[in-house]
Amino acid sequence: MNELIFHQLSKHYGKRCLFTELTLPLIAGQCLLLTGKNGAGKSTLMRILAGLDKPDQGEIQADGKRYSWRAYRPQLQRQILYLHQQPYLFEGSVWDNLAYALTRGLPRSEQHQQIEAIADWAGLTALLMNPAKRLSGGEAQRLAMARALLRKPRALLLDEPTANMDQAARLLTLEMLEDLKRQGLRLMVASHDPDWFQAVTNQHLAL
Amino acid sequence: METISSATWQALQLLLSGDTALWEIILISFRVSILAILLATPPALLMAFMLAFGQFPGRRLLIAIVNTALAIPAVVIGLTLYLLLSRSGPLGEWRLLFTQTAMVLGQIALAFPLLVAMAHTALQAADRRAWETARMLGASRLRAVWTLMYEVRFGLMSALLASFGRIIAEVGASMMLGGNILHYTRNIPTAIALETSKGEFAQGIALGLVLLLLAFALNLLLHYFQGKGQIAA
Amino acid sequence: MRKLTSALWLSTCLVLPVFADEQKPANPIIKMATTTSTQDSGLLTQILPNFQKKTGYEVQVTAVGTGKALKLGENGDVDVVLVHARADEDKFVAAGFGDQRYSVMYNDFIFVGPEEDPAKVKATKTTTDALKQIAATQSPFVSRGDDSGTHKMEKKLWDQAGVKPAGEWYREAGQGMGEVLQMSGELKAYTLTDRGTWLATMDKSPLKIVLEGDKTLLNPYGIIAVSQKRYPDTNHAGAQALIDWMISAEGQQAISDFKINGQSLFTPSADPAEVKPATEPAKTN
Repeated sequence: MNELIFHQLSKHYGKRCLFTELTLPLIAGQCLLLTGKNGAGKSTLMRILAGLDKPDQGEIQADGKRYSWRAYRPQLQRQILYLHQQPYLFEGSVWDNLAYALTRGLPRSEQHQQIEAIADWAGLTALLMNPAKRLSGGEAQRLAMARALLRKPRALLLDEPTANMDQAARLLTLEMLEDLKRQGLRLMVASHDPDWFQAVTNQHLAL
Repeated sequence: METISSATWQALQLLLSGDTALWEIILISFRVSILAILLATPPALLMAFMLAFGQFPGRRLLIAIVNTALAIPAVVIGLTLYLLLSRSGPLGEWRLLFTQTAMVLGQIALAFPLLVAMAHTALQAADRRAWETARMLGASRLRAVWTLMYEVRFGLMSALLASFGRIIAEVGASMMLGGNILHYTRNIPTAIALETSKGEFAQGIALGLVLLLLAFALNLLLHYFQGKGQIAA
Repeated sequence: MRKLTSALWLSTCLVLPVFADEQKPANPIIKMATTTSTQDSGLLTQILPNFQKKTGYEVQVTAVGTGKALKLGENGDVDVVLVHARADEDKFVAAGFGDQRYSVMYNDFIFVGPEEDPAKVKATKTTTDALKQIAATQSPFVSRGDDSGTHKMEKKLWDQAGVKPAGEWYREAGQGMGEVLQMSGELKAYTLTDRGTWLATMDKSPLKIVLEGDKTLLNPYGIIAVSQKRYPDTNHAGAQALIDWMISAEGQQAISDFKINGQSLFTPSADPAEVKPATEPAKTN
């Protein structure tokens, strides 16, 4: 009953076909690795899944119902979050960025508790008061993930999450992905460097 | 030659001695122009936002119209409003001609296209990811708009300052719509026009100095904001 | 540039010897500062060509307020001024900026106001009564407020009426006569205007004449050449030639022939004592 399956997705850019009649299940606690050359349509596919771009055709099956893309957008869009290759961080501190994702009107103590918990999980506790725009690549990616997780999504789509990162940061990111799988989140990772994600991958889709 | 130096000297004395007539004119100028900017900004920003991110038929046409409106001389805007507000015009009932309200309306009409055009440019330079991220993180449309504007606030500030600079120094529309009435609708530019026609060059130069200082301050601020904007980008 | 001009003048003389008088002025350009009333009414456009044909001079007219016209004279920016503000003209001469003031003509001022005439000015006979009524009823009055000849006249009239105009009803516009008439129409206000501007704009105005003909409303114009002693490089000969012509029988006739809607705007008033015998009219150098 908890399924999230995309059916018969097709997308063309002019005459060029990026993918056609694609069926794509996002399974709880699993990670789908999306590979392909630059320009193969990895980002486009993820943006379609997240409701940011429009497919030529396609439907989604969720919770026993089928939605057209149009109907799906307002219903489920905010449960499937897409993280840009270079995540966008707002002006202000790390704290401000995390607070942005919290539902408005939450009691102050609850806010603090949630922010501190997620910051702790992402290893950002020491940086909470730092300006977000000055974080390193790895820190920025972790903040973006933490910020998205505060929305309690059903699926997280990460676009090249380890680009611009050093070795240590990549390992930390992998650990976090592993942890998210354990929590039952659906993950999708796009990369043109699949070896890195072998360990966390359950399914592999090449475009 | 003697005139320039002596008039400037007298002008400085007038300014520094707190000449009430002079400062009253300066006050009226600022009151009218600040009010005009405050009223023009919200709708102008909204329109700029729609032009930058909205997709609707006629968007390009609207952009072209805004850019054309930039080139309309102030006197033409003044004349159009004059005809609308005149006793024999369609809005004559309101009895607005030769009031500060009419001046504010004229200055809004002048500032609006410049505000929209500059804010549009600033917003176009904004990162599309900012909008998408805000929306994905649960922001309402309104909050996402606000977030995006905050991200490009330096560019928007430049738009505000440039528009303010345009209207506070503008003489044609103010003269036509306000009528240059003492204590009431006489602002810096219309006063300069009058003092010059009277041959009272000292008063004219004193007010000119105020505008000059203002322009200098606005330019410094603009420079500051543009610099900030580039660093942020 | 000077070569070109003189070449032009030479060719004009050759081709049109009828129009150019036998004497060709060395410096043919006369710069005159005058009030907007003489220019806007069309007077100068009508009469100056006669002078120019006769003498070969060309008059370049700057039409500004009386205050500025005198200022231009004080600064030596023009050769001659034609204005209407007697007291200031005398001061101008006394201070040595000009040689002598010559009477040229006068026109008259009138009071115009809304048709309803809330201050009942039409029932009055003198400016003093009219202004007292306007002030007493606080009826809107638009003042030129620009230090022009008309404005000075208005201030003088308030003085004579013993009223210090102030308050919401008294608006100092700081604009030209045409604009002030428009404004008065919009605001249903009274104002003082010269007859010329009124005749030129009355068709479009909702206002009506409420008072005219009072002796205090006469408006004399004077013409003054800028002092050669003070500014040796002014075209003094040209200025004097223009003055001589304006106050000559011919010039005076031209002034009285100038009419709008069949009405003379200006009444010639040259003082015979000031007119030189017409021996050598426009001799130069």
